[in-house]
Amino acid sequence: MKRALTAACGALALVSPAWAATTAKPAPPPPPYAGVYQPKGVDEIGLWQEADEQERALANSPLVIRDEALTAYVKNVLCAAVGADRCNATRIYILREPTFNATMVPNGTMRVYSGLLLRVRSEAELAAILGHEFGHFEKRHGLQDFKAGRTASDLLAWGQVLASMSTSYNVRRSFNDLQLSVYGSFFRFNRNQEREADLVGIGYLNASSLRPQAAARVWQNLVAEFQASAVSRGLKKPRFNAIAFTATHPPEEERAAYLGELAAPEGDARDEGAERYKGALAKWLPVFLDDQIKINDFGASEYLINRLAEDGWTAPLWQARGELFRARGAPRDLVHAADFYAKAVALEPDLAEAHRGLGLSLIKTGKASEGRAALERYLKLKPDASDAPMIGMTIGSVGGTQ
Amino acid sequence: MTMFGGRALMLGALCLAAMSAGAAHANAYREKGKVAEVADSAMTVTPPRDWNRLSAKPGKYAEVWTLDGEQLNDVTFYGGVEPGKPLVKERDKKRDPLPKFTASTLLIEVPELLEGTYRAEKQIGGFTLTGSKPAQFLGREGVNFTYEYTDQDDLPRKGEARAVLIDKKLYMVTFDAPRLHYFDKALPDFRALASTAKLSK
Amino acid sequence: MNSMSRVAAAVLLTMGTAGVAAAQERTAIKQGFELPAKSGKKILVFRPKVSVGAQSTGGLFEPNAEWTDQARKNIDAALKKRQADLGNVVLMAPEAYGDQARLVEEYTNLFDAVSQAVVTYQFFVGNRLPTKKRDNKAGVFDWSLGEGVRNLPGAKDADYALFIYNKDAFGSTGRKLLQAVALLGPGIAVKSGEHKGAAGLVDLKTGDLLWLNADFAMGGNVREPDGAEKRVGQLLEEFPGSVAEKAAAKQ
Repeated sequence: MKRALTAACGALALVSPAWAATTAKPAPPPPPYAGVYQPKGVDEIGLWQEADEQERALANSPLVIRDEALTAYVKNVLCAAVGADRCNATRIYILREPTFNATMVPNGTMRVYSGLLLRVRSEAELAAILGHEFGHFEKRHGLQDFKAGRTASDLLAWGQVLASMSTSYNVRRSFNDLQLSVYGSFFRFNRNQEREADLVGIGYLNASSLRPQAAARVWQNLVAEFQASAVSRGLKKPRFNAIAFTATHPPEEERAAYLGELAAPEGDARDEGAERYKGALAKWLPVFLDDQIKINDFGASEYLINRLAEDGWTAPLWQARGELFRARGAPRDLVHAADFYAKAVALEPDLAEAHRGLGLSLIKTGKASEGRAALERYLKLKPDASDAPMIGMTIGSVGGTQ
Repeated sequence: MTMFGGRALMLGALCLAAMSAGAAHANAYREKGKVAEVADSAMTVTPPRDWNRLSAKPGKYAEVWTLDGEQLNDVTFYGGVEPGKPLVKERDKKRDPLPKFTASTLLIEVPELLEGTYRAEKQIGGFTLTGSKPAQFLGREGVNFTYEYTDQDDLPRKGEARAVLIDKKLYMVTFDAPRLHYFDKALPDFRALASTAKLSK
Repeated sequence: MNSMSRVAAAVLLTMGTAGVAAAQERTAIKQGFELPAKSGKKILVFRPKVSVGAQSTGGLFEPNAEWTDQARKNIDAALKKRQADLGNVVLMAPEAYGDQARLVEEYTNLFDAVSQAVVTYQFFVGNRLPTKKRDNKAGVFDWSLGEGVRNLPGAKDADYALFIYNKDAFGSTGRKLLQAVALLGPGIAVKSGEHKGAAGLVDLKTGDLLWLNADFAMGGNVREPDGAEKRVGQLLEEFPGSVAEKAAAKQ
C-alpha cells in the first residue's frame, strides 16, 4: 500500500558536500509543496511496505498512548513547523517509553516517545525535534542509509571470513523481525545527514510562527543531561557512542553554534509557546517524570527535575525529587528525601503520595513517631490506596516510643 | 536521535543473562513431592506438581521455574538477596545499573524495588503496581503484591509475588504470565508452590 | 517475541548447527484431534504475517515489496485451493478496528509466544522441558490460547482459526558467494537464505492448539505460484484431514 507524500526530490539543493563550519546566513525556507510523491525502486518500495506492515501492528500496540487531545496537539505543533501540506502526510503515534527519541519511517509514520515530551519545554523546542525528523524523511535518508548500511555490513562479513577470525559463527540478531514492528526500522544516520536534517528543520522553523532559536537549546540540554548522568555514575564522560544520537551527531558546541546561525534573526522575537506546551502536557508530565525516575538514572533524573523547577518548584516536583532520593536510599539520600517530601506537603497539604513518601523516609532515618504520623495522614487522605493494608502493617511494626 | 536503542530482548520475567555458551545443561526436572533447594539459598520448596527449572539463571540469587516456557509462565525465586545488590545480574554495573536492595529497604518498598528493576532492565514505561498486603511467607510476616506490565514482546502480562525480609536479606518469589489465559491458568499452581516455601536453616 | 529469542539462540550455540538439523521436529498435533476431509468445517484465517526479501551478504534483511505482494497472493491462493480440496471452507478474518483490532493483535502476539515456546521447548529435542518429555513420549500435545478466542472478530461464525507466519530471506548473490568461500576456506558454515514459517490451527471454542507446524528451514520459492503451493504444502504438512485424504485415496 503506497502513501501519498509531499515532494522533496532534490528540491533543496542547498546542502553542499563540503560543509563549511561557517554558514553565516539563515536556513532558507522550504520549497513549495509540489504534490504527491511515490516511492521508486525496489528498495524504497520494499521499505514503505515494511513500514506499512509495521504501522498496522503499531496502531494496535498496548504501548501507544491513546489520548486524542495530546496526539492532536503534537500533530498541530508539527503542522505549525512544516506546514499543513507536509504534515497531512504524517501519522503520529505517541509511545509510552521513557527514552528521548522520535523516529520517522519512509511511509510517513512518526513515533514520538514519551521521554521526548518530558524533556522539551515549549512548542518551539518540540517543533525543532519534529522538524528535524521530518527533514530526514523529506531527504529520504532512511533509504540512503539502508543502502549504505547494507554495503557496510557486506564488507564486514567478507572481512570475517577472509580473516578467519573465529571458529564459531555468531547467531545473527535480526533487527527487522516483524515482532519488533512497534519500534520501527533501525536507521542510524551519519553526521552529514544529521546536518542536512538540521538545515531542513531550521528552514521549516524559520518559515513558521515559532521561535527557531529554541532548536540549539534542546541539544545543549540533552548533552548536559548525559553529562549529569555520567557524573552520578562515576564515569569520566558520557557513553557518547552508546547513545546513537550523539555518536552520529556533530559535537554539541558546533551544533549549537551553527543552529544559532541558521536561525533567522527576525524569528528571535517570536513566541515559543511555552505556556501552551505546559498546559497541554499538564496531565501527563507527572506520569512521564515518574517513568523517568523509575529507570534508575539518578543524575539524569535530578537534572531534569531541577530544570523543570526553573519555572518554580511545585508540590509534584518536590514529590518527584523525594521519590528519586528515596529510591536510591543511602542514609543521606533519605534525609534529603524527607526534606523534599516535607516541602511538597507544605505547598499542597492534600498531596497524599507526599505524606506516604515522607512517612517512609522518616521511619528509615529513625524518626518513627513522626513517620507513623505521616503515614496515618496518608491513609486518611487515601483510604482506598492499593497498598493501604501494608501501610497499616508498617505503622504497626514501627510501634513503641521513639 | 533516530536509533531505537539496541536493547536486548527480554524473555519472561527478567533477562536470562548468565548463560554461558559452552555449558549445555539441560533444563532440570523438579519432581512433585521432592524437596528442592532454590536459588542456591536456604529457601526450599516442595512442589505439589512437577515443574521445570531453566538452566539459564537471571543472576546469582535467582532461578526460574516454568511449566510451558518462560514466555508463558515464569516463576522466579530470589534467595537471600544481600544489601547493596541488585535482584538480577546487571548488563553493565557502571553504565546500566539496576536498583539495589539496601539494609534500610522496608517490606512495603519491595514492590517498588521489583518495579524499578523491571522498568530499568526492560526499558519500559508501562508498569503498574496494583495492590499489596501483609501475608505470611517463609513463616514470617511478609508481603503479597500484584502488578501488570507490557514487556518488549508487546504482550501484556500480570504478576503476583510474595516477599519477606529475614536477617537483612530479601527472599521473594514472583509469577509472571500473559494476561490472556496463561496468568489465570497457572495462578493456582503458583500459589500452591509458593505456600510450600520454607527456610531450611 | 523475536523469532530468535535469546534462549533459543543460546540453545543453538550450545548444540551446534549440525545437531539442530537432526534434532528438530516440525509438527505436532493434539492427541485425538481429527479433521475429516470434506467435513464442512469453517476455518478463519487471520491476516498471515508474510514478509519476503533478500538476505544481503552481511545478513541484513532487505524487504522486497513486489516479492511480498506476490508471495501473499500466492499463499492466499494456495491456501484456498488446498482447503477447497479438503472440502473445508476458508474464511479470511473480517477487517477489525479499535478494541477488536487490538484484541486480534494481542492474540497474534500470544500465538507467536506459544509457537516460540513449542519450538524452543518441545521441537528442539535436546532442550525439552522435562515435564513435557513424558508428554512427548505419550504423544501428548497440550497447548492453548485459552477460551477467550471466542471473542475474536469472526469467531462466532467459524470452527477453527488458522494463524500463519512466514518469512523468507533469499540469499543474495553476495551471500551465496560468501557461503561458498566460507566452506572452502575457514570451514565456517554460513547459512544462505532463511525461510521460516509457522502455521497453527486453533479451536475457536476452547482455544486449544490443535495442530502446529513450525519450521525454520522451509523449501519452495514463494515468489512463484508453484513455489508458494509447495510452501503452503509444507506449512500445512500433516494438516489434519490431509492424511485422511491420502489414506482414502489409497483405498
